Amino acid sequence: MISFNQVTKRYPGGHEALTGVSLTIEKGELVFLTGHSGAGKSTLLKLIAAIERPTSGVLSVSGQNINRLSHRAVPYLRRNIGLVFQDHKLLFDRNVIENVVLPLDIAGLNRRESLKRARAVIDKVGLLNREKANPISLSGGEQQRLCIARALVNRPALLLADEPTGNLDAGYAADIMAMFRDFHQVGTTLLIATHDDRAIAALGGRILHLDHGKVEEMSA
Amino acid sequence: MIGWLRHQMHALTSSLRRLSAQPVATLLTALAMGVAISLPSGLYLMLGNLDRLAGELPAQPEISVFLDTAASMTQKRAIAARLKQADIADARFTPKEEALAALSMEQDLAGITAGLTENPLPDAWIVRPRATSQEDLAKLSDELAKLQGVAETHLDSQWAERLQVALAIGHTSVWLLAGLFAIALVAISGNAIRAQVLSRRDEILVSRLIGATDRHIRRPFLYLGALQGLLAASPLAACWRWQAGCCTRPSRIWPVCTGRLSSSCRQLHSKSQPYWALPPCLAGSVPGYRWRARSVRSRHPADFREKGTLPWLSTHRLRVLK
Repeated sequence: MISFNQVTKRYPGGHEALTGVSLTIEKGELVFLTGHSGAGKSTLLKLIAAIERPTSGVLSVSGQNINRLSHRAVPYLRRNIGLVFQDHKLLFDRNVIENVVLPLDIAGLNRRESLKRARAVIDKVGLLNREKANPISLSGGEQQRLCIARALVNRPALLLADEPTGNLDAGYAADIMAMFRDFHQVGTTLLIATHDDRAIAALGGRILHLDHGKVEEMSA
Repeated sequence: MIGWLRHQMHALTSSLRRLSAQPVATLLTALAMGVAISLPSGLYLMLGNLDRLAGELPAQPEISVFLDTAASMTQKRAIAARLKQADIADARFTPKEEALAALSMEQDLAGITAGLTENPLPDAWIVRPRATSQEDLAKLSDELAKLQGVAETHLDSQWAERLQVALAIGHTSVWLLAGLFAIALVAISGNAIRAQVLSRRDEILVSRLIGATDRHIRRPFLYLGALQGLLAASPLAACWRWQAGCCTRPSRIWPVCTGRLSSSCRQLHSKSQPYWALPPCLAGSVPGYRWRARSVRSRHPADFREKGTLPWLSTHRLRVLK
């Protein structure tokens, strides 16, 4: 599903975030991305979502070459990828359900169908009783779950999560990881950047360790 | 097709919601835009009416046809015959003796004329043509000057010429003003849309990250500009209607003038009713396109970067700075 071949990413100013990374992630895999901060975890996720482009090397996602992907094609690639952010990136000018409906509005789905699907996914992350609340009134863990709901409402084949449990206490973190395990079980490919060892231990799965822009495979 | 319509409806309703959420700001912008549209168009209408009025006033221009002192009797008869034709309303012959007598009546010139041994003045015809337009008058004057036995002609219509020149200057300045106000219009609506873009920055960023196309992001701003233009244009429509209604009332002072004004108002109103709201709408939309393009393109690569990085600097610009 995802293949990196000697991918290097150098930022303007000369900082090299990734150096000659080669790896393959198969469909339906659960992969953890570990490493200290600044090791290049976020860069790797950004490359997959075409938020950044590789400086050299070949990167393909779902058979599409990211290096050569046109500006117009990027949105359609992203519609197949669910993104979970550490800082949630929620919109505080609308309520919970409107936040979740946003990707479906963008895809041009009929409103009634959108709301139905949004309610289903909000129910799955356990926020159904808060659907009319403003996200600002939610706790950190609830906001993160809302972010996950928004990433999943489009039923993406691939979910990228950047430090999904970064700011959460152990209880919330365990909840969220359990949710990820459920998604993995229904066949979603998951790539989670984290340095939460407990979570990794709880879920199991493949671990990629990044160190100064180089990637190495680790056993769980 | 249904998806496309759904997107349009969504953009329209979201723009409407945005506008109604800030009624004061919306009204102020519409007011500024309305003034910018109505000032030059009102002036243009006024000038147009003045123009027509000037053209149709009984201006009574006169052409003085001075005969050659050596003109023969036959030539004089031919000239008299020409001046009886249909394009001449009235022609009056002034023999040179009469002209000299009239001149002598003038107080200042009495002494001078008394000292003359012979009459230096030529015979003349004072001709009042039927034509009123500047062009036709000049043509007739030239034609008469070319007749055998005519020394020269003099077209007495200076005031009309001056009025025409003044109107021409007026027209030029109206166009200039319209150009300036058009720029102002774009600037006003651009500013309003820019404010909207800034306040919706997060939404644009998030939408891009979850797969919104440029068109999807641009659409509400285009609608916003168009709606604002429409809003600015609607009071103007009311104004025209009111003005047209006002002018139909009879006025004792200048019935001709008011009659003309009202008819042309009504004409302008009915002729272009559905179309003239278009320019403000378009003017409103143009900045929507511009601002959207700038804000979205330059911000997108930086959205994951650490806080503190200026988000509107593109990678290229960052490179230049370093």
